[in-house]
Amino acid sequence: MNATPGQAPVKSIMPKWVRNPQDFVGGIAMMAIAVFALWASSDLQGMRGFSFGAGTAPRMFATLLLGLGAAITVVGVLTEGQHLAKYHWRGPLFVTLSIVSFALTIRSMGMIFSALTSFLIAACGSPETRWVETFIVGVCLTAFCALLFPYALGLPLQLLPTFMIR
Amino acid sequence: MNWYGRSLASGCLAALAGLALLSAQAQAQTYPSRNITMIVPFAAGGPTDVIARIVTGHMAQTLGQAIIIENVVGAGGTTATTRAARAANDGYTLITGHMGTHAASVPLYPKLAYHPEKDFEPVGLLAGTPILILARKDFPPKDLKEFIAYVKANESKVNAAHAGIGSVSHVSCELLNSVLGVKPIGVPFNGTGPAMNALVAGQVDYMCDQIVNAVPQINGGTIKAYAVATPERNPSLPDVPTTTEAGLPAFQAQAWNAIFAPKGTPPDVVAKLNAAVVKALEDDAVRKRLLELGSVIPAPADRTPAALGTLVKNEVAKWTPVLKPVN
Amino acid sequence: MGDIFSNLGLGFGVVFQFVQWTPAFLGGTSIPIPVNILLCLIGALVGTLVGVLPGIGTIATVAMLLPITFGLPPVGALIMLAGIYYGAQYGGSTTSILVNIPGEAGSVVTALDGFQMAKQGRAGPALAIAAIGSFFAGCVATVLIAILGAPLTKLALAFGPAEYFSLMVLGLIFAVVLAKGSVLKAIAMIVLGLLLSMVGSDIETGASRMAFNIPELADGLGFATLAMGLFGFAEIIRNLDAGGESDRELVQQKVTGLMPTRKDMIDSTPPILRGTVLGSILGILPGGGAVIASFAAYTLEKKVSRTPEKFGRGAIQGVAAPESANNAAAQTSFIPLLTLGIPPNAVMALMVGAMTIHGIVPGPQVMQKQPELVWGMIASMWVGNLMLLIINLPLVGIWVRLLRVPYRLMFPSIVIFCSIGIYSVNNAPTDVILAGVFGLVGYWLIKHDFEPAPLLLGMVLGPLMEENLRRALLISRGDWSVFLTRPLSAVLMAIAAGLLVLTVLPTLRKKRDEVFVESEN
Repeated sequence: MNATPGQAPVKSIMPKWVRNPQDFVGGIAMMAIAVFALWASSDLQGMRGFSFGAGTAPRMFATLLLGLGAAITVVGVLTEGQHLAKYHWRGPLFVTLSIVSFALTIRSMGMIFSALTSFLIAACGSPETRWVETFIVGVCLTAFCALLFPYALGLPLQLLPTFMIR
Repeated sequence: MNWYGRSLASGCLAALAGLALLSAQAQAQTYPSRNITMIVPFAAGGPTDVIARIVTGHMAQTLGQAIIIENVVGAGGTTATTRAARAANDGYTLITGHMGTHAASVPLYPKLAYHPEKDFEPVGLLAGTPILILARKDFPPKDLKEFIAYVKANESKVNAAHAGIGSVSHVSCELLNSVLGVKPIGVPFNGTGPAMNALVAGQVDYMCDQIVNAVPQINGGTIKAYAVATPERNPSLPDVPTTTEAGLPAFQAQAWNAIFAPKGTPPDVVAKLNAAVVKALEDDAVRKRLLELGSVIPAPADRTPAALGTLVKNEVAKWTPVLKPVN
Repeated sequence: MGDIFSNLGLGFGVVFQFVQWTPAFLGGTSIPIPVNILLCLIGALVGTLVGVLPGIGTIATVAMLLPITFGLPPVGALIMLAGIYYGAQYGGSTTSILVNIPGEAGSVVTALDGFQMAKQGRAGPALAIAAIGSFFAGCVATVLIAILGAPLTKLALAFGPAEYFSLMVLGLIFAVVLAKGSVLKAIAMIVLGLLLSMVGSDIETGASRMAFNIPELADGLGFATLAMGLFGFAEIIRNLDAGGESDRELVQQKVTGLMPTRKDMIDSTPPILRGTVLGSILGILPGGGAVIASFAAYTLEKKVSRTPEKFGRGAIQGVAAPESANNAAAQTSFIPLLTLGIPPNAVMALMVGAMTIHGIVPGPQVMQKQPELVWGMIASMWVGNLMLLIINLPLVGIWVRLLRVPYRLMFPSIVIFCSIGIYSVNNAPTDVILAGVFGLVGYWLIKHDFEPAPLLLGMVLGPLMEENLRRALLISRGDWSVFLTRPLSAVLMAIAAGLLVLTVLPTLRKKRDEVFVESEN
């Protein structure tokens, strides 16, 4: 299962004149975030006489970030640097799914259900997972959490699904 | 690996035992047959939380079920109140609301997702905390009359502190300013602690705050109090006059705390809960602890659900004109 | 001087109080039980165990465990709470070192070098030096509180909005210095952090800023949410990339000694001393002083070090200094509470809450009116630190062993603990999803060589900076010169400017740091 080779050379989709694609893309992304923040804070009040309005500081920092992003992009063109790193889909996908599943089920299905399912979904994120072992550990971990959080720590966590309590 | 496996096995066994216990719990018939969740819309240890814990501790004995406090913090308590408004109306989810969440929030938050009168069943009033007019210790005015004159004459120079938009100290200060007809610079702080620190250090001139936070500072001489905004003097500060005595009867404010249930909670459940509140308020130990906090315990006539309903209605009507211009 | 000894004597008398316990099964024989010591021990132990759960920082731990102290007598409850507080702090450092998940702002810096040490198989020495440094700092700070508590209060009162703003500017410069790669990218990360900290409601008008009507965003992004995403989840996702697993296994094989070597101790001694001094001073300032203590200490070490390029790559000084500073600050932040009765931060506000529940309302007279309480607490601080050392040195072995659990089982467990942790802070599912989103953002940042630590510090300092700037301008009626005309503020500004010049100049000249990154991998 663990036959994936180390770092395969990445084919660059960047034009030749971009000598540091990592910074180039990074800088552009920062500029995009800054523009988004400027848009999101455009409805807020600006300076009111001598005192700051709600929108003053966000716009100030967004403008600063825009400038910094531009500077990083320019540096990405001018200096030699690294290629874009390779992304993998498996880890991010399953870990994210697992987190979302926990968030969506915790209030209605209770902790026992949501912790166990999330554990199993997260485990899909690694090709090295051995299922029997994972299942046993998942059950034990859930049991441990079910005792630790509501009982030992007295947190208001619901353990069972809502329909079973009613 | 062996060590890991062994601890796993023992964990599993313990969990099974726990689950068996749980299912046995969910059997009984009449209300309350299981734990009640009490949402407190503020952090553990705050004035509302302390009052809620003191009273619900006694209520749990009367009802024979544990009451679990769930502190949900955010947006001046409105996040938690929204959640309570949407909770099942079976009497197992309650909320300890206060002046802010169930009255001042209406004008303060135009997009409020609930209405204090329409989305809740009033259960019972717990306790009120009087509000004081405080100033730094070297602020020139000596009494409330001088204070009123001074603030009016120096409107552009004085700084009023408050503990953040929507806080008790903020809304009561707005009320005071509207009664006085002044609009001084309001310096916002993040909570009562930092605001009090600034007042003690003399960085700001005056503020309004709940009695709990202020008594030790007044007794220690680090700040001074002009008046208490209740009809009667408070036993913890016998020398501080009421606003009526000192010449500003229009300024009356009290941070009240009360229990609410989601709209549609059965009347017999509300009655049972109210009876538990009333019983708690008659208990000597509970009364003693509330009085230590400087709280005012409601008179018997004010302890009914109907009385609380009226209070909410009057308070919403009172705060709306004061706080509307702020936004 | 004599006064102090009698006061400390009173304090230790309270802490070492024995209660006669006469259990029925012993037939009337009574055993003396040192109740308060036991409470302190239990507090520190429970605090450590909860604080070590990823996702649960100091404030959350204290808030969570607060109710269990309600049933105790006041002095016992406060002693136990102090134990919980120190335990939680130390527990947070443990997760920073072991799994790169800082539980609070103070341990972000510990994660930088601590986690690198763990990767090099030196988790044991990192944990041990953190415990030893904390203990030393705790001892010094306790004595400091006892001797200078009252006069030091003046410092807390001398700090107004203008001084805090200048201090926060200085803090941001520290954040630049602790970056190991490009200065430009580090500054961009700080500004991004500042921008993220603006989400929520405006302090002066209450207007909702960039919150898009999401109720959970109304109060802004939580530190735990962001830290968990950018550090915890992002690290997991990155490890799951091909090659991550084998990298991890390599780590597990080369675990060396558990305790610091002689050289480690010699290397760490000056950082511990300097960290303690810095932390003690900054801790006194209410509302934000303690936050910047740990990275001020880190920055100082990096600047005085003859090998600054080792910082961020597993330098033991980078663990020793911030951990000492952190603990010293945690201790001296009690000063405003004990002398003024004003809680300087969220944890202290919880402590005040606990006191009010017990019918004690702290104020400026608490030292005269309830000396046994105040001095008992001061004495228990020292005992609490001792407990931490006693509990944690043996635990080091267990924590390090935990690293040997195969990663394929460890990572889903961390995901679950983090999720439950974030959820339980506010009982809000949205917070969990937000942390997941920031996990992906963090993954992207790692891929583009942006460091998350400056972002997190910008996020923590942002609100403090903006609020104090606005307060200062409100009070001065728009006069910007206050930052230079108030002497304390001017001094802080001057230090900030000097440090900035020191940092930017060398990086403009050469890029020695980046060369280092490549030669090591």
